Amino acid sequence: MRVILTAKPRKKPLIPVEAETIIPRHFRQGRDLTVWEGNRERSLRDIFDVMVERTAAAAEEVEVILRGDVSRFKRVGEYMDAGKITIEGDIGMHCGNFMTGGTIEIHGNADGWLGREMRGGRILCHGNAGHYAGSGYRGEKFGMKGGTLEILGNAGDFAAEYLAGGEVIIHGNAGDLPGVEMVNGTLTIHGNCSRPCGNMTGGTCTVLGTVRGMLPTFRKNSTLLHGSDKIPLTVFEGDIANRGKGILQVREYSYDD
Amino acid sequence: MLLKDVVCPYCACLCDDLDVTVEGNRVTGVDNACDLGAHKFQAGNRLPGPVRPTEKGWDRVSREEAIGFTVDMLLSADRPLIYGWSTTSVEAQSLGIHIAEEIGGVVDATTSVCHGPSILAIQEVGHPGCTLGQVKNRADVVIYWGCNPIEAHPRHLSRYTMYSDGFFLENAFKERTLIVADIRPTESANVADEFVHLKRGGDYAVLSALRAIVRGKTGSIPSHVAGVSRAQLLRIGEVCKNAKYGAFFFGMGLTQTVGKYKNIRNAIELVDELNRHTKWTLTPMRGHFNVYGFNEVCTWVTGYPYAVDFSRGMAFYNPGETTAVDILARKECDACLVVASDPAAHFPRAAVEHLAEIPVVQIDPVVNATTAFCDLQIPVAVTGIDAEGTAYRMDGVPIRAKKILDLGYPADSEILREVYQQIRDRKKVREVKPV
Ligand code: SF4
Repeated sequence: MRVILTAKPRKKPLIPVEAETIIPRHFRQGRDLTVWEGNRERSLRDIFDVMVERTAAAAEEVEVILRGDVSRFKRVGEYMDAGKITIEGDIGMHCGNFMTGGTIEIHGNADGWLGREMRGGRILCHGNAGHYAGSGYRGEKFGMKGGTLEILGNAGDFAAEYLAGGEVIIHGNAGDLPGVEMVNGTLTIHGNCSRPCGNMTGGTCTVLGTVRGMLPTFRKNSTLLHGSDKIPLTVFEGDIANRGKGILQVREYSYDD
Repeated sequence: MLLKDVVCPYCACLCDDLDVTVEGNRVTGVDNACDLGAHKFQAGNRLPGPVRPTEKGWDRVSREEAIGFTVDMLLSADRPLIYGWSTTSVEAQSLGIHIAEEIGGVVDATTSVCHGPSILAIQEVGHPGCTLGQVKNRADVVIYWGCNPIEAHPRHLSRYTMYSDGFFLENAFKERTLIVADIRPTESANVADEFVHLKRGGDYAVLSALRAIVRGKTGSIPSHVAGVSRAQLLRIGEVCKNAKYGAFFFGMGLTQTVGKYKNIRNAIELVDELNRHTKWTLTPMRGHFNVYGFNEVCTWVTGYPYAVDFSRGMAFYNPGETTAVDILARKECDACLVVASDPAAHFPRAAVEHLAEIPVVQIDPVVNATTAFCDLQIPVAVTGIDAEGTAYRMDGVPIRAKKILDLGYPADSEILREVYQQIRDRKKVREVKPV
């Protein structure tokens, strides 16, 4: 089953739309779906041209395609458990919140809190992600616990905050404090970042670019050669400010002294 | 007439020992206040009544018209924002939050541009707080981090710390040790026993290093951390551990620099670590006199302290998404009610530009920078001068501010109650109780 949702022009296009109803399972069930545009509840058909091709026996067989300007659409794919969502352009905040299965592919950029508290499944973002990719909600003790979040562009600040499981891969640069409060899981940053892994207690973070403002509370342990390219990395343990036993391995680094 | 023990409605020290002389509905003398407080009692710049801009200037409108305009604006918006609240009473703040719930709007306070990060950190790891009275009577080591109380909270040192003797400190000036940490020398740094001169943005690293030092893990600390020598960090670690009672105060130099709430979390966790050795507490240097009150009221009413989005009828909170600057800069709201603050003077350009594009009503006693962006301003009484009301001091102690003049202006809570009532009438909500 393929569901193509093409966003209609809106009178106030910058007002956010909350669209957590957009997950594959709901379309297989043929439910009447609504979304919220600001403080007004709207039928999905007021906001999108909806085209449905074929039927599906299970949510796994449903692909939802979002076309047009959905850059202000929040919470798409929230609690998604199966199937696929393809976003042809940019997507708004909280895409893939709490998802447990299935795949979300974003061809443009994603706004903040991409894959927040993800539990399983896969998100592939071809563009950049905003702040808090793969993080937790305010005050939560755990962020992402499972699944894979892969960002081909750059990520903003606080990426993988409270990472507690699963894998976050950032092919570009990350902003400030990636992996802050990380307790488990794997974070790989192919580019540069600043002050990774403050207060971490567990998990592994690898930075294949340069770290600026390396925190003074990581103990240098050893060196290793990473991957088939045998990239030399320095291995630190920390954050000792927090009795941490996390692993931070970096290619190049400088302190803010 | 001399009025004793008047509360100063300027900063969150909420000094409640002012002597104010009033002659014929005019303040002619203010004793015990600092310059900032004294000036507020004698300030002018008040509008005579509600005004709307026209092609030629400003037109007076009646109170009924003004309230009708405000209600129309709020009810017709798809995403209204209600912002401000730090210089009014908790009674008015409570009404504002109820209005936001009725109209499905977002309500935020100046907290989001001052100590919002402190609250985020407190939500993560708690708040080892105390009253200012505890500090005055017990603290023999005081830290001011990223704040300059001599200029921003001028009586803080004389009422609670360096120049104030306490029950267990008979000669405070000699017995207390003062540490100031900042990125530049300030008036407060000049009177400190120890000045920690940090590089800009270095707070997080220095706090992490201090935590490790207090834990006895000094091995990885390099010779300098963000401009501060290892020797000074070790010395400060010892002073803090040997304190009988330590008090850590911090300001926007810590909350609004890079890392934001993670800096505060690090400070709280340093205080936690020190509590394994001795007694330490931590207090944010809240700015406006009742900014803390908004956080209290909003938490009672909604479960969250600021930045609450009622678009879907229930409270949703996510600073960075539901905070006023973010909403305005992203052009997400289509109307704005400003109460008791001046966003045009303090917000980034992109946010102020959006204020210029949408309908804005301001309820505020004085003409300020936001007036220029308003479609309507409703002048009201100044809480603590010509209106009474409750406010919360920076340590969370509620204090009742008196009405000492009657200049004929309505309190902002009166205007807000009328707005609230009309909204409910128009929505045909049966029961209307005063809040
Ligand atoms: S320190 Fe603050 S509350 Fe006290 S008099 Fe000065 S401005 Fe008023």
